Amino acid sequence: MTAVTYEKAQRLYPGSTTPAVDALDLEIRDGEFMVLVGPSGCGKSTSLRMLAGLEEVTSGSIRIGDRDVTHLPPKDRDIAMVFQNYALYPHMTVAENMAFALKMAGVGKEERAARVKEAAALLDLDAYLDRKPKALSGGQRQRVAMGRAIVRQPQVFCMDEPLSNLDAKLRVSTRTQIAALQQRLGITTVYVTHDQVEAMTMGDRVAVLKDGVLQQVDTPLALYDKPANLFVAGFIGSPAMNLIEGELREGHAVVGGHEIPVDRAAAAAATGPVTLGVRPEAFRVVGEGQDGLPVKVTLVEELGADAYVYGTSGVEGTPSNVVVRVPGQVGHQKGSTIRVTTDPTAVHLFDNATGRRLNP
Amino acid sequence: MNTSRLGTRTDAGDPGSARVPGGTPGATTPPSTRTGQRAAGSGRRPRWTEDRVVPYLLVLPAVLIVVLLRIVPLVMGANFSFTGDGDANGAWVGLDNYRTLWDDEVFRTAMKNVGLLLLALPVAVAIPGLLATFLFLKVPGYRLYRSVYFFPVVLSPVIIGAIFNVVLSFDGPANQLLEKVGIEPIDWLGDSTYAMFTVIGVHIWATFGMALVIFMAGFATVDQSLLDAARSDGANLRQTVWHVIIPELSQTIQFVFVTTMIGMLTGMFGLLYIMTGGGPGGATYLPELYIWTQQGQMNRPALASAASMVLFVLMLVVGFAQLRLLKRATKES
Ligand SMILES: Nc1ncnc2c1ncn2[C@@H]1O[C@H](COP(=O)(O)OP(=O)(O)OP(=O)(O)O)[C@@H](O)[C@H]1O
Ligand SMILES: [Mg+2]
Repeated sequence: MTAVTYEKAQRLYPGSTTPAVDALDLEIRDGEFMVLVGPSGCGKSTSLRMLAGLEEVTSGSIRIGDRDVTHLPPKDRDIAMVFQNYALYPHMTVAENMAFALKMAGVGKEERAARVKEAAALLDLDAYLDRKPKALSGGQRQRVAMGRAIVRQPQVFCMDEPLSNLDAKLRVSTRTQIAALQQRLGITTVYVTHDQVEAMTMGDRVAVLKDGVLQQVDTPLALYDKPANLFVAGFIGSPAMNLIEGELREGHAVVGGHEIPVDRAAAAAATGPVTLGVRPEAFRVVGEGQDGLPVKVTLVEELGADAYVYGTSGVEGTPSNVVVRVPGQVGHQKGSTIRVTTDPTAVHLFDNATGRRLNP
Repeated sequence: MNTSRLGTRTDAGDPGSARVPGGTPGATTPPSTRTGQRAAGSGRRPRWTEDRVVPYLLVLPAVLIVVLLRIVPLVMGANFSFTGDGDANGAWVGLDNYRTLWDDEVFRTAMKNVGLLLLALPVAVAIPGLLATFLFLKVPGYRLYRSVYFFPVVLSPVIIGAIFNVVLSFDGPANQLLEKVGIEPIDWLGDSTYAMFTVIGVHIWATFGMALVIFMAGFATVDQSLLDAARSDGANLRQTVWHVIIPELSQTIQFVFVTTMIGMLTGMFGLLYIMTGGGPGGATYLPELYIWTQQGQMNRPALASAASMVLFVLMLVVGFAQLRLLKRATKES
């Protein structure tokens, strides 16, 4: 059993007044691939480093399995870390890099070699075992960093943006490789990224952080379908969810004089001004004469199968940017105005004051 | 260099296009001739065109400075060391001066003391190395220590020597302290068993701040995430220092070793002069002091030259040996 539990874990850096990670409550199940995601400076790395023992926990506790590791040094935690810049020891060969932790743990020479060989085969590194990191490409270094973690057969993997130094294409392929590898090894993994696409594609569950505070933890789909607050709604999904301020009137929302149908229960829960959240694909273009939100087209991003229409809602007062997914090759013109509407079930309602989701 | 390569290419390649980047419109051989040359002797050594001469001209001043101010005096000194002193002034005496050195008890002591210096060298490097490690790991109060450690470096050896003459005098504070804890007083500078060690100790105290600064500069280049990696790989402090920090600082360590050695062999004159004057009984002579005494006091410049040559060769040998050893010792195989 190697579940990981953060319990009100907090990290206050000396000299700063607000904690970098504030009362983090998070449970990561045995064998789970948990992704921590959030904008830069939200405390992802800090959370991870607290788990790895590289950062002190100011208050609260962290458990691995049944062991309270809050104040244990890193070497007693049985955790392997993959760093963003890989942090390979430059003067050691690939094999030595991978075997270093085993050597420190007093594992015999023979077994070290065997385990390095095994991991190297897994990662396709056999040919590079005698090279120094300097003589490797970025992707190979990344794999060595992975290998260094794998040979240890730890209870938990910690990975801090391990793909951010790779080029876009390699990042995509490595992403799936890591996910597959993790599944195969079945080792509980905490993975940090600022890229929500990476988070959505890799994680069994995703934890969204903002300003050191956990916003929501759930499966990628649940995050997408039921964002708990405005921040998660805007952060998850690409292109981002349309967030439009509106008023509620008799069971539907009114935006600049145009009606948008909303969920009754959600509307009933509202107490003040609200923000409507609509995914680009939830909008549908309606014909002339039907009521819909007018959108003045400023850009059409044609992707072949479908297209994204970027525009501004032609609403007096506060026009906001709107993205609408439309079928591809329809040919909406820049400068033209289209009218869009949606279904009540596709509209997320958020309370403006608290930012919280109102839909059940 | 670059120009020279271009020139070579001019002869081997297309003369028309290659001449332009060469940028030497004055050096014109008619194209036809050049083409003829090329056809006749491909692979032949190219001629001395301006393209090839200019680079040598450009490095000439630097070479001249080195040759005139370094090499020539060295050769002259070497030559001088084979001539006589006094009545035999200027006459060729072969290896006589070296024989005299060999037979001179004081010079032999000086060489023995060089051996002591070499033994003390690891200590002289380890002290600033360890202190820099602690500063790097930010022990409490590291800011204060950082400036305190550097302080002696700005003092002149004369002042330091004078201070320690007082501190280490037979009835001085050091011995009073020893007396308090019940240890017999030691004649730090007057006893030939201790005197050399004492001066070496004071020299290390006076100069380790410089090495410390060099170490700290080296530490500044160490990648912090390597230390994190070592920690999560389960290395303790000793293992981290041994397996990660020392290999990372390999170059710095070599540099500090060599500069510290040179400092010891050539920078202890002031201290010796003030503290012991080579005494007691010549026990604290070093080659440098010996050279000065022979040259300035005994009026035997040729003998001093011979001693200088010995010192020079010694430093050369020790320096190279160190680099070789250290390269192997500080890098993991
Ligand atoms: N050593 C430190 N001392 C003081 N404050 C720090 C320190 N390290 C990080 N912080 C602060 O803690 C907060 C969280 O930092 P952290 O490195 O965890 O962010 P992150 O989510 O990993 O961001 P990124 O995506 O940019 O890596 C930031 O506001 C940062 O300024
Ligand atoms: Mg980070």
